Amino acid sequence: MPYYQTWEEFARAAEKLYLADPMKVRVVLKYRHCDGNLCIKVTDNAVCLQYKTDQAQDVKKIEKLHGKLMRLMVSKETHSGSMEMD
Amino acid sequence: MVLLENDSFLTELTRLFQKCRTSGSVAITLKKYDGRTKPVPKKGHPESFEPADNKCLIRASDGKKKISTVVSTKEVIKFQMAYSNLLRAHIDGLKKKDKKSKSKKTKATQ
Repeated sequence: MPYYQTWEEFARAAEKLYLADPMKVRVVLKYRHCDGNLCIKVTDNAVCLQYKTDQAQDVKKIEKLHGKLMRLMVSKETHSGSMEMD
Repeated sequence: MVLLENDSFLTELTRLFQKCRTSGSVAITLKKYDGRTKPVPKKGHPESFEPADNKCLIRASDGKKKISTVVSTKEVIKFQMAYSNLLRAHIDGLKKKDKKSKSKKTKATQ
């Protein structure tokens, strides 16, 4: 279960994994205030991608990715073409 | 597992974050949901169920208490805004980068 070193790679791999099989993939976010770290995991029960951070600047990135995946899940399109970012 | 409305879920999630400030972790899970309420039939039985395509399931737990909610396309915009604000407000115990790349000056300029 590898922890990715760069956010870019993790985000790309996570989105790719989700688009391969949306029904199988789940996203887990674990936050520990007492330890001051945040861990995000994206898995389809075969492949597991993880990213861990203790930097405040990553919170926004993680929260954006989370929102993006949420929107993908509720959209009826089977193939996401253009994403409208506000 | 308690299934809540979107607003109640956000309220309870706030409470989870507040409770876990001194110890423990908050785990949030997000998964696409097709609206099925019955377990998948084993075999022979044709699935008379129409999967819905526009919902997702969000669960949260602090290890003891579990809450969940279902978000669909109509609610996602509102929910996602409130949810993002919540995350940003509570996930604040992380290290901040205070150096504003002042380390550019390696040469002493005279």
